[in-house]
Formats: sequence, structure tokens, C-alpha cells
Amino acid sequence: MIVVATNLTYFLASLFLDPRANYLQLRPPRSPEEIDRSLAQYNLSPATPLLDRWWHWISDIVLHWNWGYSPVGVSVNTQIAFRIGVSAQLVLLSMILSTVLGIALGVYTAGRQYRFADRFHQALSIITINVPTVVASLVVVLLAIMLNQSLGTTLLFVAGAQSPTVSGFWPLVLDRIRHLVLPTVALTLISYAGYHLLQRSLLLDTINSDYVRTARAKGLTRKEAIRRHGLRTSLIPVATSVAFAVPALFTGAVITETIFGWQGMGQYFTSTISNNDINGVVAVAAFGALMTAIGAILADIAVVVLDPRVRMAGS
Amino acid sequence: MTANFPGPVPTVDLGAEPSTAEKRMTRARLSRRRLYLRRFLRSKGAVAGLVILGLLVLFALLGGEFTPYSYSDVDFAGLTAPPSPDHILGTDSAGNDTFAQAVHGLQRSLVIAVSVSALTTVISAFVGAVAAYLGGTTEKVVLGIVHFLLVVPSFLILALVSQKAGGDWRVLIVVLTVFGWMYNARVVWALATSLREREYVLAARFMGVGRVRIVLRHLIPNIGSLLVVTFTIGVVATVQGETALSFIGFGVQPPDVSLGTMLNDGADTVSSAPWLFYVPAVLVTLLTVSMALIGDGLRDALDPTSRSGGGA
Repeated sequence: MIVVATNLTYFLASLFLDPRANYLQLRPPRSPEEIDRSLAQYNLSPATPLLDRWWHWISDIVLHWNWGYSPVGVSVNTQIAFRIGVSAQLVLLSMILSTVLGIALGVYTAGRQYRFADRFHQALSIITINVPTVVASLVVVLLAIMLNQSLGTTLLFVAGAQSPTVSGFWPLVLDRIRHLVLPTVALTLISYAGYHLLQRSLLLDTINSDYVRTARAKGLTRKEAIRRHGLRTSLIPVATSVAFAVPALFTGAVITETIFGWQGMGQYFTSTISNNDINGVVAVAAFGALMTAIGAILADIAVVVLDPRVRMAGS
Repeated sequence: MTANFPGPVPTVDLGAEPSTAEKRMTRARLSRRRLYLRRFLRSKGAVAGLVILGLLVLFALLGGEFTPYSYSDVDFAGLTAPPSPDHILGTDSAGNDTFAQAVHGLQRSLVIAVSVSALTTVISAFVGAVAAYLGGTTEKVVLGIVHFLLVVPSFLILALVSQKAGGDWRVLIVVLTVFGWMYNARVVWALATSLREREYVLAARFMGVGRVRIVLRHLIPNIGSLLVVTFTIGVVATVQGETALSFIGFGVQPPDVSLGTMLNDGADTVSSAPWLFYVPAVLVTLLTVSMALIGDGLRDALDPTSRSGGGA
């Protein structure tokens, strides 16, 4: 599936993007032949038949693990290698935060159904889940700017992953954190509500079931019965949805990275399309498909770990 | 594409399909409709959502009457001017009136969202029900296509195609529809497979009713409540998708205006000219939240097993 999807993207990208446009703006102007010659060395020249280019491209990947070059000769491999790390720290951190926050809130509110805390958090979650990423991120920026102004110093940076001038280990760590806080908050804000609402409704279903009542009768406190018996079964669908949210988080990160000026995969996605970088676009697509596959595998693993009814063959 | 955005996912109780038979007395039909209405109105959130949505639609339709400017008019005397009696909501860096742009952008976003959501609902209902009813090779092929399209990074292809199209909003509708129906089709298929063995479907088949007719008259009406909910949630997802695409510059493109492009303009000047950000942000948030509230209310009202709508 990943292979088919990636190849399909290659043909689509080749049809829709014209790398010659990158050279048309150059001064002095170049002749079409010169442009084709420059592009040919990166396997991008429209003069070569598409199938030849495709064969060259795929054999380079299979034999040398080389994903090609952008129209101006930047290697896709080095770009991706560097950007995956940048995106990963952002996405993984906010994924962990939003999962923990969502499940904790779900458990907390399910125990207080229809009381004020439940109503309040539910209203909040309905709003945050429906606010577009753009708006949520920009509101975070706005609040941070107000905070910085009221403090009189720049406590939290709204752009970039790190400052270029900082050196030394501890200052560097501190600087990274000051850059990381805002985008992480923005990403967490848009994704925790889904887990909260899901966990709440699932836990409410199990809270009144017989086995939780049995656990109570056995002498467990209400809290313990919910945590040890109710929570475990209701965690299964939540874990599945977290695993499948991995690719969605990376698309969500497209907006967040654009707004906060992070050089990650999401930002690479926009820049490759606007720069007619066919090979880069395809690499991003392959990465996205790979993430979906990893998400599906993670979901299966989560079910096996959490659900005692599912036993792996042979055990 | 719907599935790739963080946001609400249609969840429907599998036992939720109304078991009312197709042929019913007119009086009974009327009272069922009244029942739904009563249950819908009982939910405060849904009513609030409906009121907000009504106001937004009114604003989009009639807002143009309250300003002498059109969305493309340029006022060179006031570039990035804060709100004043002349320009109620100020102007942007090119001198466009923000109020007129907001009216036009809201119209654009509403039209795109409603038509994409309607189209995807119709397509997914038909494809899902046909696949479930015909079974066999058709079912395998359709499910194969659906699963394949779900793996394809649709957000990326959306961006590719709509950028090539130069930001024409009609092309955007087509592209969003083409990559938006799969997930719902899968849900419809799952529901319809349980319906196809029902007695009334079998009865219709043995009476010699044609296949297409069975799908249209017996299967699709019985998943109607799901489809209504899917439609409202689809609107939310489309607004979010359109906003995201337009924001990064691959959706609606200047000189046309949507809420996404307005957010893009406002993003650069969030602290120096905040009104350019507040206006589209408030509108788009109201739009998505009100639609989501309506969707929740509809789901509770149409679901016979739901108790949150109250008794009866």
C-alpha cells in the first residue's frame, strides 16, 4: 500500500508541478534548453519521458536509498533527516501531553457526571475540538505576546526552534524549552479534547457495568474500582484513536510549524509544493503513508496489551 | 480527507437505525417528525447552535447591505486602518474593507462547506449502500478503493491539485469532495451490511423490486439519521480543511477571499493590526462550534436509543 501510494503521488506530482518555474525568475534569463539541462542532472527535466524519470527515481531509492534532489539541487535525504527530528520533538511531546491530559480529564469528569466541573470541561472541549488549528495557534501567539509585554521580557519565543546565538549546554536546553512551549501548547490544545470526550463517554458506559459493581462489593473504594476495573476496558478504544491520530497530528503540525516558523516536516510539505520540488513532495507523501501504517500497527499492539480477551497466537 | 483532520468523527450507535417501516400513515409520519423536533429543541446547546448559525447565514446574505464597499474595493486613503465609523471593522494592508471581506469570505466558506458536505454525504451513502447490498466482487472492489484512498496522503494531493487550479473555489469543491467521501462510505457500508439481511429488504427483493430501487427506497432511508449527522459534521470538517488549505496558500487564493485567506492576512499582523485576525477567527469559530452543537443535538434527537434527549 505504501509503495503504491508513493508511486501514485510521484506521477501526480510530476503532472501538477513544473520545476521549470524555479528557473524562469532567474536573472539573466535562461533559455529553455539551459533550464532543461540544469534540471536533467536532478532527474527533473520535463524533456525526458515520465516513465524514464520514474524508473531512474525508483531504482535510485531501491538501490542507493536516495530520494532525489530539489530543482535547485538540495538533497531530499538530508532535508528529511534533519526535519524529522524537529517535527518529532514537537509532535511526540504534544501527543503525550494531550493523551495524558485527555484521559485524566475524561476520568475526572466521568466521576462527576452532570456536575459543574463536568459541564464546564465539556463545554470547553466542544469549543477547542472545533476551533480550526489556525485560530487556536494564533490565539496562543497572541496570548504569548501579551504575556511577554506584561513581563517586559521575551519569556517565550513565538518563532523558530532555537536561537542561533546561544551556546553552552544548559543555556541551550533552556532556549530550546522556551521555543518549544508555545507550539506544543497549541498542538495539545487542539487534540486533547477528542480524547477527553471519548474517554468520558466510554468510562460512563463501563462505570455502571456489573464487574465494576462487583469490584465495589468486594470492598474497593469507588475511585479504585473505577481505576482498576472500569478504566482498563474503556482505555482500549482511546488507545486505538491515539495511535490513528499520529498521521493527523503531522498534518496538524503543517499549520503549527508554519505559524511558529519551525523547519519541520509540515513546513517542508508547504515549501516543497510551492517550490515545485517533486521529489520532496513524494518523500513527504511516503512519510505520511508510513506514519499511517505505524499508527495502525501501534493500534493493534495497544489492543493486545490492554485487552485480556485478545491473546496472541502461541501464548 | 475528512479522516485526516483532527476533529469530530461521526460515531453512531450500531443499533440506532429507526426500525419504522417504509409505508406509514401520513399522520404517524408527521408525529414522528414532531417528536424529533421536540427532542432537538430540548437540548439547549443545539438550539444555541441553530440560532448562531442562523445569524451567521443572515450576516453572509444580508451583510453586504450595511456597507458601501465591495470586498474587492480598495481604499488607498486608509491602509491597515483600525475600525472607524467609515470602515466598521477597519481595513487590511491593501485597503480592503474588512467588513465587506468578512461577508464575502463567510459566503465563500459556507458555500464550499455546505456543497462539499452535501456531495460527500450523497456519494458515500450511495456507494456504501450499493457495495453492501450487491456484495461479492463489487463490494471487494469498492472497499479496496476506499481503503486505498484512506492511505493516500489526501491533504497533500488536495494541496497539489488546488494549487495547480489557481485557487478557484469551484475546483476546490470538486477536489475536497473527491478525497472526502471514503471514510463516510466505510461507515455507511458497515451499517448497510446489517440492514441487507433484514426482513423488509428480503421481502422487497422476493417481490421483484429492482436492485437500485431497493438501495434507494429501503437501505438509504433507514440510515437517514446517520446521514443527517454526517452532513453536519462534514460541514465542520470541510470548514476546518478549507481554512487550513487557504491559510497555507493552497486553497482559495487572492483576489478571491475566504475565511482562510483572511486568517492568513491577519496572521502576520496579529499584534499590530489585531482586528484583521479577530474578525475571521471569531466567524470561523462560531461557524464550526455552532455546526458541531447542531450535529450533537440532531444525533441525540434522531437516535431512538438515546436518553439524553429526555423521554419520548
